[in-house]
Amino acid sequence: MVILTRGAYARPGTSLDFKTGNWRSGEAPVHVHATAPCAASCPAGEDQQAWFARLQEGDAEGAWREVVRANPLPAVTGRVCPHPCETACNRAALDAPLAIHNVERWLGDEAIRQGWTYPVSAPAADAPEVAIVGAGPAGLSAAYHCVRQGLRAAIYEAAPEAGGLLRAAIPQTRLPRDVLDAEIARLLDLPGITLNLRARLGRDVTLDELERDHAAVLLAPGCQANKAWSIDGAVPVDLHEGLNLLKEFVDHGQLPEARRVIVHGGGNTAMDLCRAMKRAGAEQVTLVSASGLPGPETDPSDVINVVPRELEEALEEGIEILDHTTINRLILRGSRVTGVEVMSLRKLRGEDGRAHRVGFEGTERVLPVDMVIPCIGEEVAPEGLGALIDHGYLRPRDPAGRLTQERVFALGDARGDHGTVAAAIGDGLRAVRALVAELEGAPASPDGDRVGIAPDQLNLSYYDHSARVAAPKLRVEARTFETEIEGDIGRAAAMAEAQRCLSCGNCLACDNCWTFCPDNAVIKTVELARDGSHYLFDLDYCKGCGLCAQECPTGYIRMQS
Amino acid sequence: MAEHDPRGERLDELRRKFGREPLPPGADQKELTPREAQPRFRGLESGHRACQGCGEALAARLVTECAGPDVMIANATGCLEVFTTAWPQSSWRVPWMHSLFENAGAIASGMEAAMKAKGKNTKVLAFGGDGGTYDIGFQALSGMLERYHNVLYVCYDNEAYMNTGIQRSSSTPHAATTTTSPAGKERMGKRHLKKDLLAIVAAHHIPYAAAASVAYPADLQRKVRYAMGIEGPTFLVIHSPCPLGWRHDSALTIEVARRGVECGLFPLVEIERGAVTNVMPIRKVRPVTDYLELQGRFSHLMTPDDARAEEERAHLQALADHNIQTFGLRGDTPDAGDTQASSSVGRGGHPAGRV
Ligand SMILES: Cc1cc2nc3c(=O)[nH]c(=O)nc-3n(C[C@H](O)[C@H](O)[C@H](O)COP(=O)(O)OP(=O)(O)OC[C@H]3O[C@@H](n4cnc5c(N)ncnc54)[C@H](O)[C@@H]3O)c2cc1C
Ligand SMILES: Cc1ncc(C[n+]2csc(CCOP(=O)(O)OP(=O)(O)O)c2C)c(N)n1
Ligand code: SF4
Ligand code: SF4
Ligand code: SF4
Repeated sequence: MVILTRGAYARPGTSLDFKTGNWRSGEAPVHVHATAPCAASCPAGEDQQAWFARLQEGDAEGAWREVVRANPLPAVTGRVCPHPCETACNRAALDAPLAIHNVERWLGDEAIRQGWTYPVSAPAADAPEVAIVGAGPAGLSAAYHCVRQGLRAAIYEAAPEAGGLLRAAIPQTRLPRDVLDAEIARLLDLPGITLNLRARLGRDVTLDELERDHAAVLLAPGCQANKAWSIDGAVPVDLHEGLNLLKEFVDHGQLPEARRVIVHGGGNTAMDLCRAMKRAGAEQVTLVSASGLPGPETDPSDVINVVPRELEEALEEGIEILDHTTINRLILRGSRVTGVEVMSLRKLRGEDGRAHRVGFEGTERVLPVDMVIPCIGEEVAPEGLGALIDHGYLRPRDPAGRLTQERVFALGDARGDHGTVAAAIGDGLRAVRALVAELEGAPASPDGDRVGIAPDQLNLSYYDHSARVAAPKLRVEARTFETEIEGDIGRAAAMAEAQRCLSCGNCLACDNCWTFCPDNAVIKTVELARDGSHYLFDLDYCKGCGLCAQECPTGYIRMQS
Repeated sequence: MAEHDPRGERLDELRRKFGREPLPPGADQKELTPREAQPRFRGLESGHRACQGCGEALAARLVTECAGPDVMIANATGCLEVFTTAWPQSSWRVPWMHSLFENAGAIASGMEAAMKAKGKNTKVLAFGGDGGTYDIGFQALSGMLERYHNVLYVCYDNEAYMNTGIQRSSSTPHAATTTTSPAGKERMGKRHLKKDLLAIVAAHHIPYAAAASVAYPADLQRKVRYAMGIEGPTFLVIHSPCPLGWRHDSALTIEVARRGVECGLFPLVEIERGAVTNVMPIRKVRPVTDYLELQGRFSHLMTPDDARAEEERAHLQALADHNIQTFGLRGDTPDAGDTQASSSVGRGGHPAGRV
């Protein structure tokens, strides 16, 4: 037998002795877990990418647990949130954004059906107790996050039931009460939360007492005081203020009768009221709004402030919308209104550099009406809070909600800088996080220290087109005061929709880097590598070509020096 | 006496050669490094001296990891041979032999005959560049096919003689600049056309001849596996961008390859016994300029307001259109095997790889 000598052959794989990594001139690949745009824009602080990842693995309960790390009420937000996450979703660059709210809602409902419980343990009996004023979404979220963080919470709520505007104002057609009740009950059942109903700050308890007896006070009273409304001092005798009307309607189903109604304002209250009046039989319902309908004509900062889907449904139902319009004058017969004079206007930048609304002479017209309903917004009711109120709101001095007093925070609508359920829920998370850091003497970790990720940082070649799920909807003729209009998409569609998530800025375990590295410098491991992905870079051999970063679909690999 | 069991013996032999020693229960498991513990065969190891982003190194790794470990390779002179075997080291973990530039087909034929004589099934692979395949090794290849050796011949097509400094080959595409077909006053790069080697190889009436691209690794490996299952001569040509010779960014190797397929200039076809049996349909056909613009070897075609450049662009577009028409590559309706579906990924990998 011929024996090959050392002079004639090399041993297998011995090139490993030659470390080609020293060829790298500049940059090397690193894993960068960026914040996906959905998460960056979610006022509640959810990480949609993370829970879609769980769904992609078929783990619905895991996905729900991921959701409730930030948002304890997904069945609610899945129904009422204006979903800025979808507006921001990178998938829009490919075909259509993820139907995030539909999947969130399905998860929320599934949790109720399956009886999933929050992954929290009871706080210690002697854990510090935080006082929370108001049991709207902000207060409820704050209480929940206190428990998650090992604190106890005592809620003081003026009303006989918890829920705030979710219960008092948002119509059942958008938020069925059994869903709301189920989510609130699950939250209030948590150990460590005491709910004091019919306990009004300023009447039953004072801020001083709360501060004295608790580790901190979180103020989430919402906005209960109507802003004064008149047109040049004129007010009709039978003035109905919009939110009050809506609350009465939601409470006992009554609405005043009118043939031709004008609703003045541009928010959710105005929109809900228009639709309720129309459904109650008004012939003509017109929304007069200074803001504009979404479109190329309208500056994004001046778009009517309602959930996009509500706007669409309102138009389907025959609500007339006069956008970029205001009421100039009420035409009164005696003290009853018979018409209004409206005029076009626009938000324009003035010489001082600030935006002003400017009316245009010659655009005036008169509309006959029987009722004008103002829906121009509310402010914080001063009861018990007088000294803290600054131009109608509590106006905290930092994103966590801190007021000038120590360990007193403002949350939710009362802050005056936002007005959605999701923002109220996120306020609870942010305030409690900041409070815990303060109690532990640690510096509050700055929010958003992760980088973002835009569609041009993804490699879209690796995603096939796939249609966005469409939720079933009641036909206009079939819509009533009770039945929910938008339907459930169901498990199969939710799971399929989750597969559409591009996993922006986080590893998808797609193997591309491992497959494409010409130098075997990407190592696939069985377990999660240190940084949360399954792959390691072996810089002993990485020549720095940049292929992996280029071909990473999710933008999770970046070349850095 | 135990019954003679050739398959069992063969398995034992393979275990001895390539397997990990089974340890008795309770014995200390050897600590595997993360590199060793990877769930794939490392036929071509790190430490090779290919340029950054080398498409040929990638292609050879993809072929070897799915063909191996029970293979042996005859490798023609060229980049692949040079960068994997800098004496006294080797990047290979399979038996591998360097042939001459011109005779990989002949050497592989001999290796196969030797295996047959020893009664072994080890599959022989022959590797060559386009110079070593389309040009100088052509007759050895033809003889190997004609004699019907059980060899899979893989041509790593980087469209020029790269190892000796980017000389044109018969595979260099029309109008590309190389050091021996420079663009200038006289010529707009290579004057002649890229040879249709696949058709010539297929004319040997062999069981299987196919084209693949590094941009579609799952498809590439499917073709390797298919060829490995055939007893007889098979042939694979793999489009393998060369950042040095094509003058593109080393990070763009895959993007360049992808565009080469998506514009129709490099059609991914499979030919069995002389008949086209499969093609990869292009979901969205791209203009050839998308492909050209990434590469310095075509930069003279991108100068604005240059009639000669315009004509050559039109010529290349016509060649791509010709391919699209000849092979019916336009795949406007989604197909599980088209360019898009072949590259789509999901959590946990390529959807086809997960089922
Ligand atoms: C008609 C309508 C429709 C809406 N639709 C949407 C929608 O589709 N999507 C969306 O995101 N948002 C919507 N909103 C806005 C949303 O409801 C609010 O942003 C959200 O409820 C704010 O939550 P909060 O907890 O800050 O306040 P609230 O929900 O107002 O809760 C405050 C709570 O504090 C209690 N409270 C007040 N004062 C005191 C006191 N002194 N002592 C003790 N308790 C007190 C109140 O009784 C109440 O329960 C809508 C609002 C309205 C009015
Ligand atoms: C007979 C002979 N002529 C010339 C050479 C010099 N030579 C070595 S490699 C090479 C080019 C190889 O080109 P190709 O086959 O395309 O492979 P690549 O390097 O591009 O991968 C040449 C011309 C040689 N080794 N033998
Ligand atoms: S594709 Fe997924 S991760 Fe990316 S923005 Fe949309 S929901 Fe978020
Ligand atoms: S290429 Fe795929 S596996 Fe590699 S880091 Fe990116 S997402 Fe993860
Ligand atoms: S010259 Fe081209 S084929 Fe040769 S090693 Fe470099 S990149 Fe690879």
